[in-house]
Amino acid sequence: MDFLNPVINGFAVVLEPMNLLYCLIGVVIGMLIGVLPGLGPAATIAILLPLTYNVEPVTAIIMLAGIFYGAQYGGTITSVLLRLPGEASSVVTVFDGYQMAKQGRAGTALGLASIGSFIGGTAAIIGLTFLAPIVASFALDFGPAEYTALALLGILLVATISSGSKTKALIAAALGLLLATVGRDIFTGENRFTFGSLELADGIDFVPIAMGIFGLGEIMYNLEERHRAAKAPSAVANVWPSRSDLKQASGAIGRGSVLGFFLGILPGGGATIASMASYAMEKKRAKQPERFGKGAPEGVAGPETANNAAATSSFIPLLTLGIPANATMALMFGALLIQGVTPGPQLVEQDPGLFWGVVNSMYIGNILLLIMSLPLVGIFVKILRVRAAILAPITALITLLGAYTINNSMFDVTLVVVFGIVGYLMKKFGFEPGPLVLAFVLGSLLESSLRRALLVFGGDPLGFFSRPISATLLIVFVLVAALPGIRSALAKRKTTVPAQTAATEIKEKV
Amino acid sequence: MMHFPTRRAILGAASAITLLATTACGNVAGGSSDSSKYPNGPVNLTVGQAPGGSTDLIARAVSEGAAKTLGAPIPVVNKPGANGALASKEVAGKPADGQNLLLINASLITITPLAVTPDEAVNIDDFDIITGLSQDDYVLVASEKSGFKSIKDLTSAGRNITYGTTGVGTGSQLAQTVLFKQANVKGTDVPFDSGKPALTAVLGNQVEVTTIQLGEAMPQIQAGKVSPLLVFSEARNSFLPDTPTAKESGYDVPVAQYRAVAAPKGTPQEVKDKLLASIQDTLKSDAYKEFNKKNMLTPKAISGEEVVTQWKDYAAKYKALVEKYDISLAGNK
Repeated sequence: MDFLNPVINGFAVVLEPMNLLYCLIGVVIGMLIGVLPGLGPAATIAILLPLTYNVEPVTAIIMLAGIFYGAQYGGTITSVLLRLPGEASSVVTVFDGYQMAKQGRAGTALGLASIGSFIGGTAAIIGLTFLAPIVASFALDFGPAEYTALALLGILLVATISSGSKTKALIAAALGLLLATVGRDIFTGENRFTFGSLELADGIDFVPIAMGIFGLGEIMYNLEERHRAAKAPSAVANVWPSRSDLKQASGAIGRGSVLGFFLGILPGGGATIASMASYAMEKKRAKQPERFGKGAPEGVAGPETANNAAATSSFIPLLTLGIPANATMALMFGALLIQGVTPGPQLVEQDPGLFWGVVNSMYIGNILLLIMSLPLVGIFVKILRVRAAILAPITALITLLGAYTINNSMFDVTLVVVFGIVGYLMKKFGFEPGPLVLAFVLGSLLESSLRRALLVFGGDPLGFFSRPISATLLIVFVLVAALPGIRSALAKRKTTVPAQTAATEIKEKV
Repeated sequence: MMHFPTRRAILGAASAITLLATTACGNVAGGSSDSSKYPNGPVNLTVGQAPGGSTDLIARAVSEGAAKTLGAPIPVVNKPGANGALASKEVAGKPADGQNLLLINASLITITPLAVTPDEAVNIDDFDIITGLSQDDYVLVASEKSGFKSIKDLTSAGRNITYGTTGVGTGSQLAQTVLFKQANVKGTDVPFDSGKPALTAVLGNQVEVTTIQLGEAMPQIQAGKVSPLLVFSEARNSFLPDTPTAKESGYDVPVAQYRAVAAPKGTPQEVKDKLLASIQDTLKSDAYKEFNKKNMLTPKAISGEEVVTQWKDYAAKYKALVEKYDISLAGNK
């Protein structure tokens, strides 16, 4: 029971009025910036860093953490209602969430997402509490070889996420991989596709691409299509999902919690990859995968649960190892350093008040968010009543402002406009933008990890199979790749022997 | 009803912007002739690195203190890109009125030019250096599994050693490639994006050693997860007094990260004096001394001229070392 004493003391820290107030401020800001496309938690935390100089370290981190996981809740709202992901981690929510909204089930989608987020977040905190002390060795076993395997698996999943033409998805993914090669080669310093521009030396940032393609492109496309486009749902009625919806989504929520938790722990992983992986997993598991992209509740509940679980669990490597798992965690690291606290293996023992204070504040924050997100949905829906001619320029302005705030760079704004046009043209010619963006993210991870791994292995590709985790991941990769072939072979046998079909289906249910 | 106030607000805002624009123009014109009015509004301190890193933290600590004595806010503007070259080129192109400053890293002047094309390299002569700030030492650390406890263990291992660097054209890469050449040890250079992933790779035994900045390595050194083999500074580091320098161990490769505050070339002397006075006040404050200690930084508040001389000397030394040992920092081609 000695182990639980500091945990309980952590609650005393959270319940100090000042900390409670900052927790509330954090989650409200997080929710707001989650709704605004472009201004992500990383940018917001960066902007607010100077404000945290004058408060206690624990208070500062509680607020910043609130922004981060609050954004995961908020990001859902615009994904569902506007088809505009507020956050990268809500991109896949668009696929089914928006379709549900079009069918007049926006309330159900948002309700499921909130409940899923709450369960995912809470499950991850409980996991964090018990796993934090033993997770260190596991996280460190992920080296370049493991990332190579993980990225390969991820790129394979890209193909399964796309709805619509597989060929067009592959073309878009190839373009994404090409874009990922832009910039100074980090192994040789050689410039690739930079055309002598210093702005391109570090490659293209993920955010302007996502904001351009998903944000501006969509706005332009909608403006053109607005006479034909489906009207935005006038009201979000009945945010409490029906029992059958909940039943349908409960499996997805459970799986999303576990998947998100583990993907969040891995350095380089995080909310975005978790939501994508969860979507792919639900689609793969579904008995009728064709429902996905047409308003399947699991397609909303799974990813939304997973991104919140991952957002929470990505604190584990930061707080236990001093290793930020993603860009936002790097900012948290900076915030801690400003406060004179160095996160690392000794943090839990040396500063239990801070460690458990921050961890336990997430329980409170998640409860606040659940309470807020259901009634506040009504307020956000009102945005949809505004005419597109008014809403579009405002959204575009927010997007461009957001693009500027990340690096204080007009170049990024130009990029958003360029990718906005690309996104518009892609939509117009029936290309899904998803695979492009996902391949872009994973492309640079794959390239750098592969080259790094080969350097470590002395150029021997068999080295990937000498490490248990990378070998396992590669075997999973082969299985996933071969699965459609096996399935179609099975399906052929099924059609010839119809009696077997029922038996197989029952098996799948179990 | 709604239209009238809206239109008036727009008109008001428009005229305010016009007014601001006119005053701003006036300032630029009058800036060089009448520098006694300095500072004229906020003084931007641009950082070529992302928020949260050590360069950014230093900029924020300096701006917080200096803003008080200077009598104007000093917002820190992060403009990451090309190791900081992007921010440097931008500030160099700003009017030389002291309203735009740069927190500059020595490696950008001394090491990066060895790895990039000449037109991408930043020239220190494009700037007036206001003052030096501090020295950030590099430490060579080894993983537990490597079994290296001293530099002798490494040099006598008699096998190929994988070493992580913080990227192409960084002090970490230069220090290790030169050290390995001088010690006649075979090594494989594995570049990472920055110090943290390189350290993680050592912790996870993916590479055997790495060289990163002391502040980043210290928590793991104290926890006993990595062993410090040597520091690359000219003298021992006061935060790590038991670890020998490369020089003591017989290797001529003095590498450290230095940081300074720079203004565009041609900034009026009066402005520079004011800036220097307010920054010096900050550097002497207890709060800043505490900041240095926490981040394992060694104070190095040398004059602007000294900064230029020292950095140019290092640049020449590194160039000679690289040529002598026939090292290409872009070595994995």
